[in-house]
Amino acid sequence: MSERTTHESAPSSSLGDSLARGWDDRGDELPPADWGRRPGARRTGTVWLFALIITAMAFGHAWFSDELTGQAFLAWATIFTAISFQAMPFLVFGVALSAALVAFVPTSAYRRFIPDKASYAVPVAGASGALLPGCECASVPIAGSLIKRGVAPAAALTFLLAAPSINPIVMIATAVAFAGQPEMVLARFTASLLASVVIGWIWVRFGRTDWLRLPSQSTTPGASSWQVFRESMLHDIMHAGGYLVVGALAAATLNVMVPREWLLTVAEAPILSVLVLAALAILLSICSEADAFVAVSLTDFSPTAKLAFMVIGPIVDLKLIAMQAGVFGWRFVVRFAPLCLVVGLLSTFLIGALIL
Amino acid sequence: MNRIAQGLTLVLLGAAALTSTVPTDLYLNWVKAGFGPFLIAAGVVMVVLGVLVVVAEVRGEGDTSKEEEVAPATVAMDASGRNTGEVHGHDEGHDGHGDDGHDHSRAPWVAWLLLLPVLAVFVVAPPALGSYTVESTGGSAGPPPRDEGRDSKFNDALSEAAPGEAARLDIQEFVMRAWIDDEREMADREIELTGFAVPNEEGEGWYLARLQMACCAADAVVNKVLITDEPAPETDSWWTVRGTWVEPEGDLYDVSEHEFATEEMEEVTDPPDPYE
Repeated sequence: MSERTTHESAPSSSLGDSLARGWDDRGDELPPADWGRRPGARRTGTVWLFALIITAMAFGHAWFSDELTGQAFLAWATIFTAISFQAMPFLVFGVALSAALVAFVPTSAYRRFIPDKASYAVPVAGASGALLPGCECASVPIAGSLIKRGVAPAAALTFLLAAPSINPIVMIATAVAFAGQPEMVLARFTASLLASVVIGWIWVRFGRTDWLRLPSQSTTPGASSWQVFRESMLHDIMHAGGYLVVGALAAATLNVMVPREWLLTVAEAPILSVLVLAALAILLSICSEADAFVAVSLTDFSPTAKLAFMVIGPIVDLKLIAMQAGVFGWRFVVRFAPLCLVVGLLSTFLIGALIL
Repeated sequence: MNRIAQGLTLVLLGAAALTSTVPTDLYLNWVKAGFGPFLIAAGVVMVVLGVLVVVAEVRGEGDTSKEEEVAPATVAMDASGRNTGEVHGHDEGHDGHGDDGHDHSRAPWVAWLLLLPVLAVFVVAPPALGSYTVESTGGSAGPPPRDEGRDSKFNDALSEAAPGEAARLDIQEFVMRAWIDDEREMADREIELTGFAVPNEEGEGWYLARLQMACCAADAVVNKVLITDEPAPETDSWWTVRGTWVEPEGDLYDVSEHEFATEEMEEVTDPPDPYE
């Protein structure tokens, strides 16, 4: 049984390490030969594949790095890397926090803090979004783990929307960017919180649980908290992280390809300009902690249009859509993203008319 | 994507984050300097997590792992399957889990994309945005909203410099003053700016430009000044220029380009942080 594959040509007895022993024992114990063979061969294959990838990267680094001179390509690569790296600490932080929620906080703790009735839980969740400093990359996995822990989906989704929109860091960034315009900070806070809570209530009324695809909580009985923590973190990084890269690819492509002058031609039209900046927020996928600085630089647009940019960006954007698809599934995203967009825009127009 | 691949991907991704922060300053091409410590922390976490996952997997432990000692083993299967013990019981546990929770232990194909940032860092090593971005962005963003109540004081080197002393300004600060400083404090003052050269496609002269970044390169904003009294240097080369602001006539707010009269200019090696 030990010479099952060509890769493992050496007799297992000579390999004293636990690695080989693990494979051999597995093969010996499983009745059909095929079952034992596949995981072992696949694992060896995986290791070879990564060895190949690393070697290829080394050659690529040596040979191609200086050849890559296309200006547009390099600008694209810079923006792609920038979005990925900027989101990475937030992703790791969010994933660690959500894994800690799953592994170390007992379910009863949530019962105590969050009202049972979903329609009361929604505003509580919205307000508590103001406490978590982080951007949208962090809040997606956290919302996922809240739902897994029995928090009403509508409340968890409200938290998902509110946390990146109204947390203290975002508010400070907005105040710094719009120095001398405190009404913009107030408008952003109100419009974002209003949109999050209304979306939560709409979800309470019309949302269906089967639209949400959450992985079954596969806590092995007897697994220690640290194992649960590790497994939960791995799972979330792989899902949310993979889609984060998809979002970064799309956003970098649009960032390089859509010339800003196109935008300026529509800046004068009252309603259209709001829609254009909302669309720009979706496409650019800028982190919610930075979007105020971009909004303030779009000087030709009306204050309401800038507000739309800052209200829509944290609740709907390409990166977020891709990450939500990874955590909750596409059936959820095709309903949730349009809902967020419509409610976010209505809230923007309302608050814009009242405050700005 | 199986668990070994997941673990190795995490190790590579963490290595990419660490490589671009610790031995090199590559990360400054992409994000604000303030991200450095967070990137290092994220990199360390990913490497550690990846190594733990790989170690657990090659030891043949499915979801039960070497951290068992942290909590007392509550189920007999765990106790018997402790690392080197009877692997039999362990394997059953692992495979039994794999059948009902496949979704959990195997990552979707999209997780392979996590190797793209790794590829970007190690093979492409993208440089800071430069003249291409300035040219394709076209005109500057435009003046900030006029705010009558604004405190007329500027917090920059010019307000601190003694009269007659040269003030070193960011191009962003220069552009800001040139647009909104109705007192025209910059007039006739010697000013020093640092940036990279960008050819002017539409008219005479060239631009000294610098990108301003709030968070990462995706939100970079162009600031540039027009220089007409020196021949255009090589595109993307970095220069420190000394000179004065060419004071425009009429309302500052209507100015579309800010001109700079140079007295001397000196080529510089790339500043460590290419953004302002």
